[in-house]
Amino acid sequence: MLSESEAKALCQTVLGAVTAQDAEVSVRSRDYANLRFAGNDFLTNGQTSDRWVTVTVWVDRRKAAVTTHETDEASLKAAVARAEDTARVSPVDQEYVPTLGPQDYRPGKSYVAATAEIDVEKRAKTIDGVIGQYEKAEVIGAGFHQAIAESSAIATLNGNFHYERWTLASLSNTARTPDGGSSGFFLRNHNDIRKLDTGRIASKAVEKALTSRNPHTMEAGRYTVILEPQATADLFGSLIYYFDARSAEEGRSAFSKPGSGTRLGEQMFDERVNLYSDPWHPELPGSVRTDEGLPAEKVYLVRNGMLETLVYSRYWAMQRDAEPTPGPVNEILESSGETASVEEMIRSTERGLLLGRFWYIRQVDPRDLTFTGLTRDGVWYIEDGEIRYPVRNFRFNQSVVESLSPDHLLMIGPSERVGNSESQGRSSVLVPALKIANFNFTSQSEAI
Amino acid sequence: MPSSWKWAPGAAFEPSRRTVLTSGGLAIGAAALPAWVLEAEAEDASAVDRDALADVALSTARDLGADYADIRITRKREEGIYTREERVQWVERSQTFGFGVRVLVAGAWGFAAGNSVTQGAVRQAVATAVKTAAANAKYIRSAVQLLPAKGVQDMWKSNFTQDPFDVSMDKKIEHLMAINKTAMGVRGVSFVNSSMTWVNEQRFLATTDGSRIDQYLIRGYPSFQATAVDRQKGDFQSRSSLTGPQAMGFEYMQTHDWLGEAERAGEEAVAKLKARPVDPGSYDLVIDPTNLWLTIHESVGHSTELDRALWWEANYAGTSFLTPKETGELRFGSEMVNFIADRTQPTGLATVGYDDEGVPGQSWYLVKDGIFVDWQTTRDLAPLIGRDTSYGCLNAESWEYVAFPRMPNVSLQPGKEDISQDDLVADVKNGILIFGNGSWSIDQQRYNFQFGGQLFYEIRDGKVGNMLRDVTYQSRTTDFWRSCDGLGGEATYHLGGAFNDGKGEPTQVSTVSHGCPVSRFRGVTVLNSAA
Repeated sequence: MLSESEAKALCQTVLGAVTAQDAEVSVRSRDYANLRFAGNDFLTNGQTSDRWVTVTVWVDRRKAAVTTHETDEASLKAAVARAEDTARVSPVDQEYVPTLGPQDYRPGKSYVAATAEIDVEKRAKTIDGVIGQYEKAEVIGAGFHQAIAESSAIATLNGNFHYERWTLASLSNTARTPDGGSSGFFLRNHNDIRKLDTGRIASKAVEKALTSRNPHTMEAGRYTVILEPQATADLFGSLIYYFDARSAEEGRSAFSKPGSGTRLGEQMFDERVNLYSDPWHPELPGSVRTDEGLPAEKVYLVRNGMLETLVYSRYWAMQRDAEPTPGPVNEILESSGETASVEEMIRSTERGLLLGRFWYIRQVDPRDLTFTGLTRDGVWYIEDGEIRYPVRNFRFNQSVVESLSPDHLLMIGPSERVGNSESQGRSSVLVPALKIANFNFTSQSEAI
Repeated sequence: MPSSWKWAPGAAFEPSRRTVLTSGGLAIGAAALPAWVLEAEAEDASAVDRDALADVALSTARDLGADYADIRITRKREEGIYTREERVQWVERSQTFGFGVRVLVAGAWGFAAGNSVTQGAVRQAVATAVKTAAANAKYIRSAVQLLPAKGVQDMWKSNFTQDPFDVSMDKKIEHLMAINKTAMGVRGVSFVNSSMTWVNEQRFLATTDGSRIDQYLIRGYPSFQATAVDRQKGDFQSRSSLTGPQAMGFEYMQTHDWLGEAERAGEEAVAKLKARPVDPGSYDLVIDPTNLWLTIHESVGHSTELDRALWWEANYAGTSFLTPKETGELRFGSEMVNFIADRTQPTGLATVGYDDEGVPGQSWYLVKDGIFVDWQTTRDLAPLIGRDTSYGCLNAESWEYVAFPRMPNVSLQPGKEDISQDDLVADVKNGILIFGNGSWSIDQQRYNFQFGGQLFYEIRDGKVGNMLRDVTYQSRTTDFWRSCDGLGGEATYHLGGAFNDGKGEPTQVSTVSHGCPVSRFRGVTVLNSAA
């Protein structure tokens, strides 16, 4: 992985070759170690090191970008030349904003050396232990262990430079009973590999597999549901990306007001709902700069149910005479009221379904953020405060805005760090269990 | 200029022990060149001696105790151009170059990769891979059984006549602008997008079996979409191009009538605004290859991946409703249904000379006369079902990923007689004719699916009638293929394909084609997707 001084030197080589009026360069590096296992045995693995440089130039406000993985001086200079040649014949960038001058960044907390220096012998022993748990429970397990260290540096022709690095360790796994009749899944990740409780992650998947045997079939329809934090992460885990001010003002987002304007300041959600970003949260440290290079700050998108912030890009802020938003860089969904454990949620439920996770989620309607997808690896029927039996999977079609509204959101748990399952654990959010009324299951799915 | 890794169409190529690959790749040559010039190798770009690197990798692996090792050195270039109406929106170009080494030590795999292609880096990567394999070997429950393969020294290039990376940017943009202009010229068309993506993979593989294989692959995906908007009703409809990506070079812009299709697409987008919404119910479907290829991909291509059936993908993409004990037993489709897997069809996206462990591209039956008979295999999958040869399905997206089982082209064979779409339609009382791809959804065991499309026409009493809209068809895999009772002849066969099929941990992308004739299916559930 590139150190700060190495990254800085590459930035200087690139910027030194630029003849255009403005430019910015990004220098990234990654060391990635992973191990895959399935059928209760080791499968494939990999240890890769890579680096890549992207140079973006504006020649008379005409923009082009070139990316290369070769960082010797000749290749970098060639990349700059190619970018400038391409820029000269590209259309004018109508949304050009001059690159940033020097900024002040507060240091982040995302890097842990223990994760960056993967010990393959220790990892092999750990996975042996995980497989041992499957064998003992007489299930067939599959999973994926990752340890990633990355660095990212940016520099601009106007004098800005910033370097940061981060690490991530993750374990996900799926346990199936040998007859293929039931399946359980669990995933957790952390910046610090020492905090990855692999034994717990494996035993949770095993427990879900064993308690999903002989599922009943239930009719599709609207149910009260309890989402475990994994399910919340899967369905609500990219909520922060929908708060773009421009789309709202252009009338094409869930936060647009019919007629004109936006819903900023409206009590759109239940008053316990808080959605925010915090680069220095101890459980979910994030990047200390936005994707446009601005120093990041803690930003509330929704506070006590009220839409507090819509996100302004540098360009749109310029258009609207507003301040560009210093975030979001990560997602935290948290209750400002009393929280309840999943057990308490179950005990309070007369009739409902407990969900472990969702799968294959796709957006259906951007106007109210309705998504479709499937349940997977764990659906249990609750009656009179107790889990009665496992249930077969469903397809759902449900608006996430509706689910967080006062009429639908019933109970919220304490927030915990979870990885998003479709990204294989390479992204994380801090979210709670949720109890929601009238969740819309539109059809049954027989797959296990 | 140092000799570069270029393929002259049709030229014989004599491999030498010291073939040189230039690595620098992004410099513009010294002579004055027009602004839109393509890649020229720099005079002083660092040269890379692949054979010497292979020698280092394989001997180091042997010395450290590996029973098998391979090294892949790959360079991948991609170029994308995106336009709308009269504007080029953006052009992106990228190149990645690096190596990956795979070793088998005491029955366990190890893999390491890096973007610094030097002898020192290769030696270190081998050591890392061996260390990982040895660490895992202590705990494996069963050793990998790797089938032997004949060492092969060969070069192979994919089936193209015009290398798109030798074509100027101006020429490419000219084609896209002409498509846009044609579609926009149709009354009622409000927007059009067009794009083209070209990919070149240069793969070098050396194995301890004695293989040294050089392959040069070209593939491309030009496409467009015309949109008609009805502001009064607040409705809009689009019609996308139908032919899909192919393993072809720039000649694809000549072999297909893009302008003719652009005009038709404009007219059809406008017509879709007035099409009648379908009544849900049971219908006979006549499905064009431009739609059916995707149904084949999802329900046949994925269900016959042996590693899925062995639950190796259980933690991500899922499993299969097929298991080894169904081999040779299960009635997958009607007697006229035959699916052949191959890595040989000339413009197939999964077509290669050799897979990533040196097994030659070949073809074999997956479903014969409607019975499920065989699987997609690799050198370490095949022994698990008692086979002694691999069908050659090992593939990695690029140097930095470990190679693993990927889908070959999978195609429905045409009928033996010269049957046309009209012939199939003539025997339908109440049905729907379907072209192109829309939405798609299938569960993680490949049982239940639901597919949309681009164009739908009602069929009444043997004749194609008015346009319909919002059609999706829903079925279970074996119910669907068993309901097939009509196949077009060879003249109706077309190869559709996917440019981005995701699988594995970490996820890797592969490209794959699916051919089929126009086909007929009886009594399929149709839903109205807008309801």
